[in-house]
Amino acid sequence: MNGNSAGTGDTTEPMTEQAQPAEADAATAPAVFSVRNLWKVFGPKADRVPGSELAALSPEELREQAGCTVAVRDVSFDVRQGEVFVVMGLSGSGKSTLVRCLTRLIEPTSGTIAIDGEDVCGMDKGALRDLRRHRAAMVFQHFGLLPHRSVLDNVAYGLEIQGVGKAERRAKAAEMVEKVGLAGLEDRRPGQLSGGQQQRVGLARALAADPEVLLFDEPFSALDPLIRRDMQEEVVRLHRDEGRTMVFITHDLSEALRLGDRIALMRGGRVVQCGTPEEIVGSPADDYVRDFVRDVPREQVLTVRRAMRPAAADESETGETLAPTTTVAEAIETVARTGTPARIVEGGRCVGVVDHRSLLDVVAGLDAGTAPDAGERTAA
Amino acid sequence: MTVHTASPQVKRAPQGRDASAPHPAVLLLRTLWARPAARKLLVLAVAAAVLGPVAAATHGSGTWPSAFTVDLTKPLTGASDWIIDNRDSHWAFLYFFGHISGAIIGAVHAVYTVLLALGWAGVTAAAALIAWRVAGVRVAVTALASFAACGLLGMWVPTMRTLALMIVAVAVSVAVGALLGLAAGLSDRTFRALRPVLDTMQALPAFAYLLPVVLVFGIGVAPAVLATVVYAAPPMARLTALGLRATDKGVMEAVDSLGATGRQRLLTARLPLARRELLLGVNQTIMMALSMAVIASVIGADGLGDRVYQALSTVDVGSALAAGIPIVLLAIVFDRITAGSSTPRPARKLWATVPQGGTARTRTAATWAVAVLAVLGLARLSSQSWPDTWTVAIAGPVNTAKDWIVDHLYTGLPGIGGTADLAAHYTTWILNPLRDGLQALPWWGALLIVAALAWLIGTWRTALTAVLSLAAIGVLGRWELSMDTLSQVIAAVAVTLALGFAIAVPAARSPRVERLLRPVLDVFQTMPQFVYLIPVVALFGIGRAPAAAAAVVYALPAVVRIASEGLRRVNPGAMESARSLGATSGQQLRQVQFPLARPQLLLAVNQAVVLVLSVVIIGGLVGGGALGYEVVFGLAQGDLATGLTAGVAIACLGLMLDRVTQPTKGARDGA
Repeated sequence: MNGNSAGTGDTTEPMTEQAQPAEADAATAPAVFSVRNLWKVFGPKADRVPGSELAALSPEELREQAGCTVAVRDVSFDVRQGEVFVVMGLSGSGKSTLVRCLTRLIEPTSGTIAIDGEDVCGMDKGALRDLRRHRAAMVFQHFGLLPHRSVLDNVAYGLEIQGVGKAERRAKAAEMVEKVGLAGLEDRRPGQLSGGQQQRVGLARALAADPEVLLFDEPFSALDPLIRRDMQEEVVRLHRDEGRTMVFITHDLSEALRLGDRIALMRGGRVVQCGTPEEIVGSPADDYVRDFVRDVPREQVLTVRRAMRPAAADESETGETLAPTTTVAEAIETVARTGTPARIVEGGRCVGVVDHRSLLDVVAGLDAGTAPDAGERTAA
Repeated sequence: MTVHTASPQVKRAPQGRDASAPHPAVLLLRTLWARPAARKLLVLAVAAAVLGPVAAATHGSGTWPSAFTVDLTKPLTGASDWIIDNRDSHWAFLYFFGHISGAIIGAVHAVYTVLLALGWAGVTAAAALIAWRVAGVRVAVTALASFAACGLLGMWVPTMRTLALMIVAVAVSVAVGALLGLAAGLSDRTFRALRPVLDTMQALPAFAYLLPVVLVFGIGVAPAVLATVVYAAPPMARLTALGLRATDKGVMEAVDSLGATGRQRLLTARLPLARRELLLGVNQTIMMALSMAVIASVIGADGLGDRVYQALSTVDVGSALAAGIPIVLLAIVFDRITAGSSTPRPARKLWATVPQGGTARTRTAATWAVAVLAVLGLARLSSQSWPDTWTVAIAGPVNTAKDWIVDHLYTGLPGIGGTADLAAHYTTWILNPLRDGLQALPWWGALLIVAALAWLIGTWRTALTAVLSLAAIGVLGRWELSMDTLSQVIAAVAVTLALGFAIAVPAARSPRVERLLRPVLDVFQTMPQFVYLIPVVALFGIGRAPAAAAAVVYALPAVVRIASEGLRRVNPGAMESARSLGATSGQQLRQVQFPLARPQLLLAVNQAVVLVLSVVIIGGLVGGGALGYEVVFGLAQGDLATGLTAGVAIACLGLMLDRVTQPTKGARDGA
């Protein structure tokens, strides 16, 4: 199982890149973070594990033989500029360790990390501080606010660390507080705020430094479902407005699907699959992923690109038209209303049609066997 | 209690029986072996069976054999003489100790001069002002009334002397303690090295610290301040270290993720986050310093403690009380001011009032300036010392009352028979048999008992420390005296625990009792040990019984507080499930509360032992005899060798008693 999923982890990456030329801007955008063969091993003599025969052992055997725990196991991926890259996995899958390795809050055991082509692992203390101060800011699950400072001073704290003057940082912080919707609460202490408000402070603090990348470590896991929904929308809005690159860690599949441009699914320290939400749901790489996404309402995630069949001669001229990015759910609505197949039109050309049967197949999951076809067809 | 340690293991025993059905005797042994407590006792029993007869045959079974004692009197007297001879000539004194001593005396004198220059009105106003700013109006009124009372009692000058000594000692203690705590908070290695030392220092009676400083610095203000610093700095160091180590990991990670430097981490996050612990450390240091500054009167610290000491030596209860009340008032004022700044509620208010804008800040600055000017104005207007005509002499009336007590309460009360009778009975029927029993105990037997107790409750390490400490007492030739002190401690601890648990159980069960008890406990816990000697002398005269009474009264509040909190904090879920099963309140207490609160109850026992010992030793001043008297005698006669060996024996006894009752390392964190 382990060996199998390792192969998948490695091969998924190029496959994903092929699978996405449709969204050309995202695919060709330069990588902000570029991670290659990253390992993090906890325990004595951790550095001898990667690359040795110990690496092939199961977690239990490794703990017994070497006293080590592998949190991140040979992980490679790129985070492209402007995208929301979600790392998803259950607790203990190594996702939180992975995101901490990006700014070396946890020192990686081996592998390379580059930010804009610059080697992070080789940075000295000063350069690393600079990276944390200006280029990558993090939002934490448990907020990490300073209880003795007001909301405004918490937001300004990152700027204070950078040595920004008092008046300037307060003005900037006030702007950020406004942006996350906390205007009027500047003088409160974190202890006087609700969980959602505290996380908004954490978000504002991260934004205040105007970083290139925002790193989120399960930021909404400690919040109530309704508040979580609000905060997710807040993040979507921020991303739409500013287009900032984000790396988002979560254990919540629906959150991952809602926010992610691409999702890396982790298990036992490995990335078992990396791809768009549609690829994860529509073409699970293995049984684990399939099991994971089983309860996802497929019609909400999958698009008509997946459901369409080649148009018959008479079909390419009549009927409703849909964009290829339309979800199956929306297509069902159209087809059910009109009672006729709908055309999928891309660039003024009909690329296929969807009808009752093809849409139902997708909802029922009967299209699984055709998944690679769909990918190839898109690429072609 | 041993049953509970063993209970998880008991279940395993039947499996062993099933595996092979051996001889019943083997079976019994195996069952015993399965219980850790029984296993430890078995090992010790074997050791006793082998070593006991050998030791008894070669060195007898009475007190510590003389063959094992080392007479330190001569070298110590030699060292003390050498120091006295060379104090004015040797370089170590001229260039090191001399400077320390000079700096301390200079500092105390300077503070004293400032206090006198402020005058009585200035000092009182300044105290009230500080109390008001830090802890609110009520504490300010308390401070005002307390300082006025000190003046009214005719104790203004001694109060100022004690205050001057305190201010210097606390400043040094806080600085030293904070530095040590910072080092231990930031470095694991320092913490591991420092922690056992600090733990041990806090378990030793105050008297043990006096002699070494006297040996080097002689009698006077400088050694008094130094002894106070040594006694009062550990809580600051300890709490600083714990506070810095307990900072929220999530917050520190967030601070790291923003790219903070090491200095920024410490100054903007770690120290502010440890604020509560730091303030608590200051509070404890001040209370310990006051307690020690008063006791240090026996090595030449003048002020209130000296007045009490002089009065007690002539059994002049009236004068002792006149000096004792200001001590209590100072303690209450100091405690309220520092505790007020560390409790969350007023603290948040304080934070909230710290203004964000510039105009508000100038306003506070203006308030302060006006206040300081007012204090200085009062200082100019008032005389240096409290006006003589405004004093109330309470010594006379108090002594009259004391005579009345002697006449009416000492003997012949119906039913209980009078306090002197009680004291006599306690001495004859409890203390004497216990002392004789302990002194008749074979020395190796005593070592074994100590080993068994310490090992059952703690680890083999604590057992080893305890046994070695007791052996050290024997080696020093203070076996008999220590057994005398020990008998007083054991008897007083028994009384303390009986009373303490009897009060703690209702306090834990009824919020009303707890509410009534809390202010009483607060006041009693802030009072220095020395003060407790005054009322007990009035009630019981002098001897071992009043010393025991003082010890009981001193240790009781801590025992009640720790035990009742332990019982109250028992997991409510467990209590609820016990109630839902229909347990009676007695069953709840026995089967749920006591077992679950076991660590806290053991801690209460430990604290009782430590606190009782410290007062029993001081009881040497009121006829308690034994080790405490040796120290006093040594100081009074200039016989430092006797005093020092007694001091070391006290330290060893304290260490032994602490280790014997020390449950686990973790449980002490809460104290």
